[in-house]
Amino acid sequence: MLRELFTFRGGAQRWPEIAIGAAASVLVVLLWQASSSLGWTNPRFLPPPTEVLAAFWSMLTTQNLLYHAWVSTERVWLAFALSAVLAIPIGMLMSSYRIIGASSEPLIDFIRYLPVPALVPLCIIWFGIGETTKIFLLWLGTFFQLVLLVADDMRRVPQEYVETAYTVGARPRQILTDVAFRAMLPSLVDNLRITLGWCWTYLIIAEIVASDSGLGWVIWTARRYVKTPEVMAGVFAIGIIGLVTDQLIRVLHRRWFKYL
Amino acid sequence: MPAPYLAFDQVSKRFGELPVITPINLAIARNEIVVFLGPSGCGKTTLMRMAGGLDRPSQGIIRLAGEPVGGPDRRRGMVFQAYSSFPWLTVADNVAYGMRYRGDLTAPQKQERVAHYLALVGLTEFAASFPKRISGGMRQRVAIARTLAAGSEVLLMDEPFGALDAQTREHLQTQLRAIQRQDAKTIIFVTHDVEEALFIADRVIVFSKRPARIIAEIDIAARFGPERTLELRETKPFFDLRNEVLRQVRSEVGVNV
Repeated sequence: MLRELFTFRGGAQRWPEIAIGAAASVLVVLLWQASSSLGWTNPRFLPPPTEVLAAFWSMLTTQNLLYHAWVSTERVWLAFALSAVLAIPIGMLMSSYRIIGASSEPLIDFIRYLPVPALVPLCIIWFGIGETTKIFLLWLGTFFQLVLLVADDMRRVPQEYVETAYTVGARPRQILTDVAFRAMLPSLVDNLRITLGWCWTYLIIAEIVASDSGLGWVIWTARRYVKTPEVMAGVFAIGIIGLVTDQLIRVLHRRWFKYL
Repeated sequence: MPAPYLAFDQVSKRFGELPVITPINLAIARNEIVVFLGPSGCGKTTLMRMAGGLDRPSQGIIRLAGEPVGGPDRRRGMVFQAYSSFPWLTVADNVAYGMRYRGDLTAPQKQERVAHYLALVGLTEFAASFPKRISGGMRQRVAIARTLAAGSEVLLMDEPFGALDAQTREHLQTQLRAIQRQDAKTIIFVTHDVEEALFIADRVIVFSKRPARIIAEIDIAARFGPERTLELRETKPFFDLRNEVLRQVRSEVGVNV
């Protein structure tokens, strides 16, 4: 049974893999702790996990960490929802009608490669330093990626499904909503899950630039006073939120798409 | 000569410069089972798809009951080899999907028809199953039931049993004729399997390699009658005919098979 783990393209095994995943994570944390206890690293730059954990706890209890986490989560979800709501129909249409695809693909490909941080000054000129700028930056970072992923999902809907629908009397609009959308939904949810992660990357940039709340702001403020444990605790908080969201969506995915 | 129900009149097709189908004349009678037999890639599927309105002829015209066919509609239903049913719908919902866009039926009528066609293809007890949970042969029966429930008058079947194992395949071939007897439809069935063609068809049309032209028409109904049992496959006349057609197809494909 354990041999399978070392076989090229060996079968998946639920419990051994969970155990190995946990053990590897614990090992990394232990190494980290040891490196600091044995004096290999300067705790000013790399504080040991115990200190990070202590900072995390004090931030939770005295510095409103939960509030900041909530503010950040809200920003991410709002911007992400805006991205998804626009990207799903536009992406589907890009793959359905060549006129839409051909006209939008070059533009989207161009914007997709623009580095979001480079657009920060422009965003501030346009929207000031309020909430709009942050949402816009997050949206910018995800929409143009997501729309291409959606277009790709749509392209992969088997032509047989479309033609089956045609031959029972469906119109293109009905095929889009009743068949194509349903057919691509499982991979769409996967892509949403992945892009949601990218949203968090841009969040820090957005919150560093102009903010007095959110995890990005917490991290950046701690940096100013060289409170390395707090910086790491802030990063840690984002990691936790990411991990939990990701696992949650995976569970939902398995539940919604039992038919797969 | 039977009265033409589905008629191909000088129908040809080219993809750009590449001729795929040379002008073809073919008349299919109502409730006739016609099998298009030919080497893969010869254009027989394209010809069938044009009857379904999924491809347009480059030249010529196809008429159904005297009227030129345009785009696809539910009078001509397709059964594909793969992706023939929707994985997110149960067996019953897949069959019901055939009637989704029909405003002329009430909900109870639709339900009744679902039950009727599920029984016809022998899937009543799998009504609530998802396609993933049933066999490949059952999935093809789901697709047949859906097309029938939609009220299609012509069934266009594109190598529908091509991906099934030999036993399932034989079983479905027998069943297809049984279903057709109970719920008479005109069927165009595309295959490259000679035995399958001879067993299912009222008439086999043998196509050349690309660009497709008709190289033979074999009236199977006249030879074997409407009843086809598995025993037929073991008889000498069936065997002889099979060899003859096989030779024809082989000489068409050439030696590099």
